Amino acid sequence: MKALPLIVAVVCFALAVVYWLPNGPLGHHVKHGILFAVLGLLALVWLRFATASTAARSK
Amino acid sequence: MLLAVLQGFSELFPISSLGHTVLVPALLHWSIDRSDPTFLAFVVALHLGTAIALIVFYRKDWVGIVRAFAGSIARGRIGDGRDERTAWLLVFGTIPVAVAGVFLEKPVRQLFGSTEIVSVFLIVNAGIMFLGERLRRRATSATRSLDALPFVDAVKVGGAQALALFPGISRSGSSIVAGLLCDLTHEDAARYSFLLATPAIGAASLLEIPRLLEPAARGMLVEALVGGVLAGLTAYASVAFLTKYFQSNDLRPFGWYCLIFGAATFALAAAKVIQ
Repeated sequence: MKALPLIVAVVCFALAVVYWLPNGPLGHHVKHGILFAVLGLLALVWLRFATASTAARSK
Repeated sequence: MLLAVLQGFSELFPISSLGHTVLVPALLHWSIDRSDPTFLAFVVALHLGTAIALIVFYRKDWVGIVRAFAGSIARGRIGDGRDERTAWLLVFGTIPVAVAGVFLEKPVRQLFGSTEIVSVFLIVNAGIMFLGERLRRRATSATRSLDALPFVDAVKVGGAQALALFPGISRSGSSIVAGLLCDLTHEDAARYSFLLATPAIGAASLLEIPRLLEPAARGMLVEALVGGVLAGLTAYASVAFLTKYFQSNDLRPFGWYCLIFGAATFALAAAKVIQ
């Protein structure tokens, strides 16, 4: 199950960028952007865990 | 400076710091403009002081937790070590309050900032603590240690923390009650609540640091610094007291305090003695 964390990470980083844009469609909210960037990083950690468990199973 | 001591004291006691920073100035007839840049800078310094006090108090735990967290990511799995479990419990517990804080803080505070409403929420806070204690005593399940807490329960405790967005509801009170309902002991529920407070208060104040550097706030910088130190010292003393207190005591005394103080301030606000 590696696709889901990857999708979540991409969506979170995209939202972070959109919130950081000065004239973005969701308005300029620095804190919202930081929140989504952190959630994106956590999704990457999730992806790392999913990759590691798949590798461990295949051994 | 009284506000700094009040903040450091009430931030960790389950009596709502936000509620007290609304009600005490109203009782003392202080006129505080909460949107004034100098006041906001002062509040940021108080929160920073509190967060630093928590980090210093739990410094050994934090070193272990950060190391275990980094090790867990490097290995790509969550092990059974105490620090590693605690690190991930803190991550899962912080997500709900971070999301709620970022999206709901402003609208909630704009809606519920009046003295009467804060007094009512303080009474609700008392009710939460009484109910939590009652349900915990009725529970037939055995207590468990913090590192045995399931991650889904960590999210529940973190979600309960978000109730503190309502001025008058205590962050530590609601999270300790949620911990008790997830079968933690008072001691572990309090420890988890105080550890959870560090990223919540720390991140919120770090994000607001630019307010301290605004030109309007420069004249207030020394007062903000002294206030931050005072709040930190008071917070340190508070967490030292509370960790000992919860080894053999419960939330009911704080519930009685919130009930009496909330009812008294509500009566005064309804009679227009305070605003």
